[in-house]
Amino acid sequence: MKEPKRSSDFAAGTVDHADIVIVGNGIAGLTAAIEARRLEPEKSVVIVTSQSHPTINTPALKQFATGKLTREQLLAYPAGTERLQRIHVVSAYAEEIHAQEGYLRLAGGQGFGYGALLLATGSRPTGLPSDMPGQDFDGVLTLHRLYDYLDLRRRLNEVEEAVVIGGGPHAIETVMGLLYWGIRVHWLIRSETFMPRMLDRQASDMVLEGARRAGAKVYTETEVLGIVGRVGSVAGVVTTQQQMLPCQLVLVCTGTTPVTTLARTCDLPMKYNRGGILVDDQLRTSARNIYAAGDVAALRDPLTGKYAPRAQWYAAVLQGRAAAAAMTGATDGENFGVSWHATRLGDLSMLTVGNPLAWPEEEVVSLPEKRKGSYCLLSLVDDRLVGYLSLGAAQPDSLAIKRIIDEGLSVRDIQKDLLRGEFDARKYFSGKRTYAARRMITTGQLPTPMPPMPGIRSGQRRASSRPSGPMPAVARAESQKDDTAVRQPAVLPATARVVPQPGDTAARMNAIQRPQPAMVPQRGDTAARMNAVPGPQPGMEAQRGAPTGYSNARPPEKRARAEESEAWVNAPPPVVPQGNPAAAWLNDAPPASPGGLAPRRTEDLPRPATEPLVRPTSNGSRSVTGPRPPVRQADDQRRRIADQKTLISPDASPAPGGRRGAQGTEEIKLVTRSPERQFIAPPGARSSQPEKDSNPHPSRSLWHYTDKHPAVKRQKHV
Amino acid sequence: MFKKKTGQQDVRLHKTGPQVIQELHACIGCNECLLACPALGEPMTIDVLNSETLGGPISRPVAQFARACYQCGACVAPCPVGLHRDAMMMWLKVRLLRSGWGE
Repeated sequence: MKEPKRSSDFAAGTVDHADIVIVGNGIAGLTAAIEARRLEPEKSVVIVTSQSHPTINTPALKQFATGKLTREQLLAYPAGTERLQRIHVVSAYAEEIHAQEGYLRLAGGQGFGYGALLLATGSRPTGLPSDMPGQDFDGVLTLHRLYDYLDLRRRLNEVEEAVVIGGGPHAIETVMGLLYWGIRVHWLIRSETFMPRMLDRQASDMVLEGARRAGAKVYTETEVLGIVGRVGSVAGVVTTQQQMLPCQLVLVCTGTTPVTTLARTCDLPMKYNRGGILVDDQLRTSARNIYAAGDVAALRDPLTGKYAPRAQWYAAVLQGRAAAAAMTGATDGENFGVSWHATRLGDLSMLTVGNPLAWPEEEVVSLPEKRKGSYCLLSLVDDRLVGYLSLGAAQPDSLAIKRIIDEGLSVRDIQKDLLRGEFDARKYFSGKRTYAARRMITTGQLPTPMPPMPGIRSGQRRASSRPSGPMPAVARAESQKDDTAVRQPAVLPATARVVPQPGDTAARMNAIQRPQPAMVPQRGDTAARMNAVPGPQPGMEAQRGAPTGYSNARPPEKRARAEESEAWVNAPPPVVPQGNPAAAWLNDAPPASPGGLAPRRTEDLPRPATEPLVRPTSNGSRSVTGPRPPVRQADDQRRRIADQKTLISPDASPAPGGRRGAQGTEEIKLVTRSPERQFIAPPGARSSQPEKDSNPHPSRSLWHYTDKHPAVKRQKHV
Repeated sequence: MFKKKTGQQDVRLHKTGPQVIQELHACIGCNECLLACPALGEPMTIDVLNSETLGGPISRPVAQFARACYQCGACVAPCPVGLHRDAMMMWLKVRLLRSGWGE
């Protein structure tokens, strides 16, 4: 093995070096890279990864398994984003961290120096215990990566029966996916209920009942003793209930484990446990200049005080952004709030915010509410919400509930609505705004002083591009961000070589964060492109104006965020400026229909004759008037309708643009122009069912994508 | 079960920018909303739609889609994480309006 490069080589520039190095190109890694590029347009950002495909939407792999998505549609960011953002991707396996000298050793012995290092190595499936007999047989799979799902889709053809092991959301998604392909499924759950730490008995029963209704055989309190094989491939599973379940496929969905192999190689002590690398609220690990985000990072749970990873998509995005802000020095800590988990469990939507079951009985009031087909649980301390669990056909406004818990708002008035699942977040939060306005009228006090900063060039730009007069709340929050961002430090404080003292992270970080003379960044093409960004985009203004020096005051990023939320809550009722449609849209006024089109009821639209009858979808928390269009239906119903289709003769009542339309030659041509829409079933899967192969979604017929659709036709006149 | 209180409240079809951006970050890209959409003219991938809703220049297919969207709300019910694609589309329309409908 080659001798690793010495640090003196870095100074000579002979060895690769980047200011920000990110290991892993999962969503946390790529989000951090993009965010770091946005905050620091001039720094070099490098992703080191051994994954051969770009970042994909890993939760959408379930849809990929059922053929609703093609491989191209899995991309998390448009192709070429890395190149556009000048993020260099190094295809290599990072073997060791030399934190004392600040470089990574890649496979092959090459060194790669870093200014700040982010570990976003993600997780791997836990799988079966290594002493389980027969776990090496062909047909025992874990579903975690894209390759696993490709493997699954290749195998679907020859599988009649399958066993799914595990009691989590991933397991039930897998069960439902297999049932979709008409495979008989045995589902083994170790505990008595489904997701015992998140759901209580009633909610778990609803989920399991739904799975049984869909056709799965559910075995609770059952574990695998061993796997039986024949000529190297799976033939069955022996359970603890003295049963032998014949199957050709065993899918292990027993959760994930953080990948800490790289962290273990660090030559400075880096704290980690079974749950991942321990990080603080700035996502710093215990080693200098090393951060962790995503599935591998174990954050402290504010409720229990234990360090645990949050292996969820939204958490990974948030952590990636926060890590980028911490690495560029743009933040001094992030409040991630309570945990938030929303997913679909079979036909039901689940939402857990906070941890409604973890609270001791004597401290909280639990309000369970069970109605037909839905279940809801509120955990309240006084009139504050601390945990929320909802299970039902419709999803409540999930992020709004997280916001209520995070901000500690009173739910006395909306308690009933929350229990019924009828909570209208928009109404509630705009009501908050009117309270602020009422206070302003009765007391004569302005809500929050929002003085404009001594405008550099941003003031001029705003004056020209935005209407004079009172700005709507959003625009004001934006402009504040612009103003506060001016004070943002333009460069990352250089890291002085100090003697590392493990454990005392905060003191060390303070010691090395020295203000630096600001450099004038050039206005690159990234900056020009990002100028069109509508939302609050702090940091972009800083490049345009002359950057001021480093300010020791409250970090601008945080202040901007705080003011933005205050402004949003406390803003007076918005005033609609006359004659400016954009401003009118921004306000809360009911928007005029775009382009002069009257909103059409979906029921008025012609439906193809093959369109199945569906159950009416419920409204949930939405406040849109008019009937809901048919959207989703149970798998068994879909399958039944797919079978019925064969009875319909091609020339009987041709559907407009439907795939059985008699005059549909033109539509067929149209469809062939978009091959990725045409392909839905995996190649060779279920060849005995030709109907399914052509389109397994009768409700989502190709009718949507043809010229015959009135909405599409109408846009030509706009 | 979910009774609609039609007419009792005014319709608010959009969310504020910070909320929309928060929801965009929570999107898992499962494509369910686009599959349910009756106004989608040509195939579109969710990554392009999301990134252009968030910022940057708006390409022609996305602009066309935003114009064709008539806020029917079909995209909201199938979302597995309970996000409001209609609000995101409204935000996209606001951006389009600012830039003269993308022309």
